[in-house]
Amino acid sequence: MFSKKEITIAYSVEKCTKCGMLKKRKFIEGDILFAKSSKCNSCDGMTTIEKIFGETTKQ
Amino acid sequence: MDFTNFDQIFAMNDDTNPIMMLIWIVPIILFVFYGQRIQLYVTSGEIKKGISKLDGFRAESRNELIDYVKKNLKPDDDPVKKIDRFLDYFTIMPVDMDPNGIVGKVQHIVRSREDYTRNHIKSLSPQINDFELTKVQTLLEIASSLQMIHKIINHMFLTAKKQNNYPLILPLQMILPFIMEQAEAMKKAIPAFKTGQPVGDGIGPMVVGKMMLNNEKETVAFQTVLAKTEFENRKLFLLKAEGPGSTVGRPADALKTIVSDNKLDAIIMIDAALKMEGEDSASIAQGFGAAIGGMGTEKFQIEKVATDNNIPVFSIIVKQSVTEAITLMTKEISDKASDVTLQVYEMIQENTKPGESVMIIGVGNTAGVPQ
Repeated sequence: MFSKKEITIAYSVEKCTKCGMLKKRKFIEGDILFAKSSKCNSCDGMTTIEKIFGETTKQ
Repeated sequence: MDFTNFDQIFAMNDDTNPIMMLIWIVPIILFVFYGQRIQLYVTSGEIKKGISKLDGFRAESRNELIDYVKKNLKPDDDPVKKIDRFLDYFTIMPVDMDPNGIVGKVQHIVRSREDYTRNHIKSLSPQINDFELTKVQTLLEIASSLQMIHKIINHMFLTAKKQNNYPLILPLQMILPFIMEQAEAMKKAIPAFKTGQPVGDGIGPMVVGKMMLNNEKETVAFQTVLAKTEFENRKLFLLKAEGPGSTVGRPADALKTIVSDNKLDAIIMIDAALKMEGEDSASIAQGFGAAIGGMGTEKFQIEKVATDNNIPVFSIIVKQSVTEAITLMTKEISDKASDVTLQVYEMIQENTKPGESVMIIGVGNTAGVPQ
């Protein structure tokens, strides 16, 4: 009755193949591990999806 | 009456209050004759709550499957009737009075069922690609498992109630928490499989998939891929289910094919394993023997190939709960991928010599994990 509702949010972690910078963002449908994702913000390299995971919070 | 005077309340001498005597005796008589029935009513209430929860899971998984098929497969006809028929499909396991050859029989039945399901999903939408097909197949398995669980538990409960049989309801009361845990895990798994996200069980394919990147891949068995690479003068055969579809592949068939053409000196299997209560989630352990779950047919074949060819089998497992294994991979598990990779390389160095060949198998569901 008094238990809090658990909500899991999926995240994707992008890693730049050139400078190694990591960026965590919310998962977008179609994201697949190791796939090329976007341009790196700190250099001109491309990022790939390094990890996809869920984080659970209680509400 | 003075309620603080216990001698007076519990007195059994001549001047005992007859009402107090009745308060003592009536419940004793009631429990002697109707004790089991009272327990049955109390237990029934708890079980009924569980069954209505199971019914909710069953209905939810069915609706999610129908919605997914209608939205993504866009079938020409209404798929509801067909889906309902698939959900009621049952599998009769082979007779085991004579266990000789039972593994082959079980494998045949399981694979026939998988082929049947695959063909019938294709019949819903002939243009469906393999990625979508594996997703629908998994969702169908979840929905039919939840339907079967609900049916069996409900049957056991109704039988016990019909016969007013308290001893029959006891085992049900004992197993219900475990069943509920499994059922809840299955229900929670639906969003991950629908969106093609990696699940906890995918840690093995994730490690091997990353090792496979930038190497040429070939299909060696149904939904199973192989890549060859080298590490410190050792030949590595990397094997996993073909991602990013939701499948576990057929590693035993692949191993048989590879062993027929190559001499292997070690097999390393990476898999998720159920943690014991009190153990930390995402902890890594090393051991011997084939780390692979399922019906046991794949494990049997891998062990047979390893024994026939005298190949030692090592394993690395990442421990997790039932729920973690089939729902979206947790951060703790995904963070362990690099540690597992390091342990694989250490294991190769420690157990093989330069010039030898090692097979590394990433065991588990490869949903959302390509190579």
